[in-house]
Amino acid sequence: MAQHNKENSRRQFIKSAGIAAAGLALLGGGVGYYNKVNGPKFTRQPRFLRPPGAIDEETFIYACIKCGLCVQICPVEAIKLADLNKGLDYGTPYIDVREQACDFSCDSLQCVETCPTAVLDFTPFELAGGEALKEYSQTHDATKPGFNPFSVQIIAMKSIVKMGIAKVNKETCLAHKGEGFNGTPRGNDFDGIYRSPNSKTGKPAPLSETTFDREICDLCVTECPIGEKAIVMSVDSETGKTIPQVLEGCTGCGVCVMVCPTQKESIIIEPIKEESHV
Amino acid sequence: MFNSSKKKTPLKAKEKGEMPYAKAGISFKEWRDTKPKTNKWRNLRWGVLIAVNLLFMVSYLLGLSLLEGSLSGSRAFGFYLMDTYNALQVMTISIFDGYFWALTMNFWIGFFTILTLSILGGRTYCSWVCPYHLLAEFAEKLHDYFVKKKKIKEHSYNIYLRFVFWIGFLLIALFTKNIVFEDINPIGIISRSLIYGPSIALLWIFALLLFEIAYSKRFWCRYACPVGATWAITGQAALLDIKFDLDKCAHCRDCQDVCLVPHELWFVQKGKATQETHFTGSDCTRCGLCVDVCYGDALKFTVKGMDKIL
Repeated sequence: MAQHNKENSRRQFIKSAGIAAAGLALLGGGVGYYNKVNGPKFTRQPRFLRPPGAIDEETFIYACIKCGLCVQICPVEAIKLADLNKGLDYGTPYIDVREQACDFSCDSLQCVETCPTAVLDFTPFELAGGEALKEYSQTHDATKPGFNPFSVQIIAMKSIVKMGIAKVNKETCLAHKGEGFNGTPRGNDFDGIYRSPNSKTGKPAPLSETTFDREICDLCVTECPIGEKAIVMSVDSETGKTIPQVLEGCTGCGVCVMVCPTQKESIIIEPIKEESHV
Repeated sequence: MFNSSKKKTPLKAKEKGEMPYAKAGISFKEWRDTKPKTNKWRNLRWGVLIAVNLLFMVSYLLGLSLLEGSLSGSRAFGFYLMDTYNALQVMTISIFDGYFWALTMNFWIGFFTILTLSILGGRTYCSWVCPYHLLAEFAEKLHDYFVKKKKIKEHSYNIYLRFVFWIGFLLIALFTKNIVFEDINPIGIISRSLIYGPSIALLWIFALLLFEIAYSKRFWCRYACPVGATWAITGQAALLDIKFDLDKCAHCRDCQDVCLVPHELWFVQKGKATQETHFTGSDCTRCGLCVDVCYGDALKFTVKGMDKIL
């Protein structure tokens, strides 16, 4: 009788293990197929960017453990975790720049530093910071008491962030149409906050509390946290109009996208398509 | 799980006169009523479970650095903690493409801290921290009710089924280069939903709970969850344990009825115990339900080696 029971339970185990293995194979095959069709290089969309320092997407989606530490540390709450319907890998962090851009008002790269699996990789920033300090000490006294080396390093660190690059939509851009802007760019109900370069407090403030009055709309240029290395107003030689021009220094932070006053944003961030970037 | 004392020859079954109630000179029913009904350990455990998950939520809401992150990876007072199965999947994939060496020191600190905790405390995480465990406990109550009313039949499986899932999910991770398990991991989904706001993935949790209510009691925790399996594997020689005292046991087996892993209480059956005292094995989640229910205090929490020191 005991022998029979043992045989029975072994058969039951093999049966259930078979079902489980088949289910797992189906799941694995499904995910594998999905990955092949919608490969990682397509998951970086113009609106949903990876946080600063994100490594190549293929490594990113498996090495990110979806803990959300980068979400917690961001002072302007720019980083969110993707839900299933976002077209990104579930639970991975992204920045929806139209809703809340990364405005660098943290004055550090804490989201990158906090990442335990280095999918937000601090190494290039560390190098850039070191270089900058070395350069600074050649012309200045860096050993002076009270001098904070980080204030020098962070400028260099910020400038090598490359989440994407801004691209202006010539059809809808107010400047391209030769129009100005007067009022609150995104209405009074908009939640986004950022630190304007013209801010007197030096702290991030709600965009809805600011009003602008411009002959020719140049909000994307004046509000850019990086400044003239990233975007400038220049006269177009063909049309003679003053239009925003994106330069090499653009980090893809997305503040321009957030402040753009047109109904649908007239400037987008195109994710960097290269294999690896910072 | 793997228990060497199980292989020994059992001790002679106790005579009726040796039962604890007979020694007290009363019937079993009278003896059973002498112990007041208590939920001491269960209440304490629920308190801890809710407190830990609340601490995660509060830390995010108020921006405090108490317990940041979620249950898949976190930072307690600046000290990193890393879910071991999650970390294991990342290691499995990354070892083949060199990314392994890019993992930060904080990752390793977190991984080895949790590993050490599991070695000392066994599978305690499951019943004292895991938010799915709490939901599943309520589902279990409903399931038991329906079984009692003969509305449904019980379906049980072999406990080793977990290792099919454990290896399976690692293989899926390896071949798809994606930690697919994290997409369906109830712990991660519930934890992230609590902290960062509800997700569509919660539908999966409801489906899982419905399956457990209608078909198989505690299916996920008993037969599937690779996170629990990881804690069980590493907790083979855990110091925190439930100690069984044969002398005080009346073989009523009420403890096995409330237990998530009744096979770990194999020794409470009449004539099965091979020693005067036994310890539960690594599958035991140290939930304390058996301690609460035991009429003769035959089952108790213990830290191995402590009684020698004290």
